[in-house]
Amino acid sequence: MGYAIRTEKLTKRYKDKVAVDALSLTVNEGELIALLGVNGAGKTTTVKMLTCLTKPTEGKAEIMGHDVAEDPEEVKRLVGVSPQDTSVAENLTVRENLQFMADIYLPKEKAKPAVEKIIKAFSLEEFINKKARLLSGGYKRKLSIAMAVIGEPKVLFLDEPTLGLDVLARRQLWREIEKLKKSMTIILTTHYMEEAQSLADRIVIMNEGKVKAIGTLDELENMTGKKGLEEVFVTMAETEAEGE
Amino acid sequence: MNRTIVYAKRNFIETFRDPLSWIFCIGFPVVMLLIMSVVNSAIPKESGNTLFRIDNLAGGVAIFGQMFIMLFTAISVAKDRGTAFLTRLYSSPMKSINFIGGYILPMIVTAFIQVIISLTAAVIVSLVTGYDLSIVNLLLTSVAVMPSALMFSSIGLLFGTFFNDKAAPGLCSIIISVGSILGGIWFDIEGVGGIMKKIGMCLPFMYSTKVARASVVRDLGFKEFALPLMIVSCSAVILTVFAGIVFRFKMRADQR
Repeated sequence: MGYAIRTEKLTKRYKDKVAVDALSLTVNEGELIALLGVNGAGKTTTVKMLTCLTKPTEGKAEIMGHDVAEDPEEVKRLVGVSPQDTSVAENLTVRENLQFMADIYLPKEKAKPAVEKIIKAFSLEEFINKKARLLSGGYKRKLSIAMAVIGEPKVLFLDEPTLGLDVLARRQLWREIEKLKKSMTIILTTHYMEEAQSLADRIVIMNEGKVKAIGTLDELENMTGKKGLEEVFVTMAETEAEGE
Repeated sequence: MNRTIVYAKRNFIETFRDPLSWIFCIGFPVVMLLIMSVVNSAIPKESGNTLFRIDNLAGGVAIFGQMFIMLFTAISVAKDRGTAFLTRLYSSPMKSINFIGGYILPMIVTAFIQVIISLTAAVIVSLVTGYDLSIVNLLLTSVAVMPSALMFSSIGLLFGTFFNDKAAPGLCSIIISVGSILGGIWFDIEGVGGIMKKIGMCLPFMYSTKVARASVVRDLGFKEFALPLMIVSCSAVILTVFAGIVFRFKMRADQR
């Protein structure tokens, strides 16, 4: 199995603030990685750099062997993004939104079948003719993820996909994400511990732009001697605070 | 499918399904045409004021309507910039040219539909008032005002790129008011003369109105039609290129 993502000392600086500090990471193909951290930890900036939405200040990042700074056109063909905020065309129906994204990513003959496939895969049949603005928050997020997946990306970025959703909508979305696992590499940013614990193959704990730890839940528990991701996270955060 | 067409289709549907675009792009110009026709019927013939006569009014209202195209382009661009929808598309294989074309094209189509409806209303008014308007001339008008539609759409793209969805509509409203006055739509700017005329001559709006009015009566002379059309077309090209460069620059700046 090859690498889907490889970063080497990836850094993003905004004037005096270092948003991401020398991030070195490798993600295998088909793996689901959770970037876990509090607000301002550098998760979204990392996603932005890996999806060519912002240029790295220093360092290197590759998606399926293509450098994000030197070959953004190819990288954009390989990735799908579901941004943090609602990012659907509000006055278009669910089907029109999906068709729109399919037409952007896929050749004409593939676009229509892809829409039908995604509608089925995400169980959106009931809502296909409903305008996006009339959907509930949970279904909007579901549509947003479906739109990110329709172009058959090799790497999918889900930026805080369940932020602000109620527990039922969140669990429903987890099931959709579970279904996508293995068919593509997924990078998921979240600050919900249970989300990372439930979905991720490996967890990257970030704080103030730096990677504090990478590993499976078991590895992280062994590292800190604590049980459960929340305990691991709190221990790491407190250890760092004491160190300062 | 061509990504510009795909994006243009999305923007057209979004505009088409917004009731405000029907009210402002179609309803308001037609209402103004009807009101000014009533005003015209109240003006004594001896006054010699023909500004609101349907042959003058039809062209003026066609340009007035196009100013709302500018407003809707600005709102559309500014709204998209304010949401994560553009963020998603910036990470897709779409290029800046797809975005620019995707915003301008549907507005040109909307402008064409708008002009056809305004001129149809003008024909009905002409039948009621007994004034003879040539359908062939009106068809010519609907094509002759298209460079002006491109110009207004580009100004909208510029405003939508520079300002957010709160500021852009307000600024466009100022342009609509200033453009209507200095464009000579609601009063005879050449008759007023002085500084007003000088400012009007420095802006493209007056020439848009001239093109529309001259084509309604098929007065296709150089001074009345060809020269103003050239000025409007050049302004449209310059503004479109400028708006395109600014949008591209802003798109890149957003990604820094």
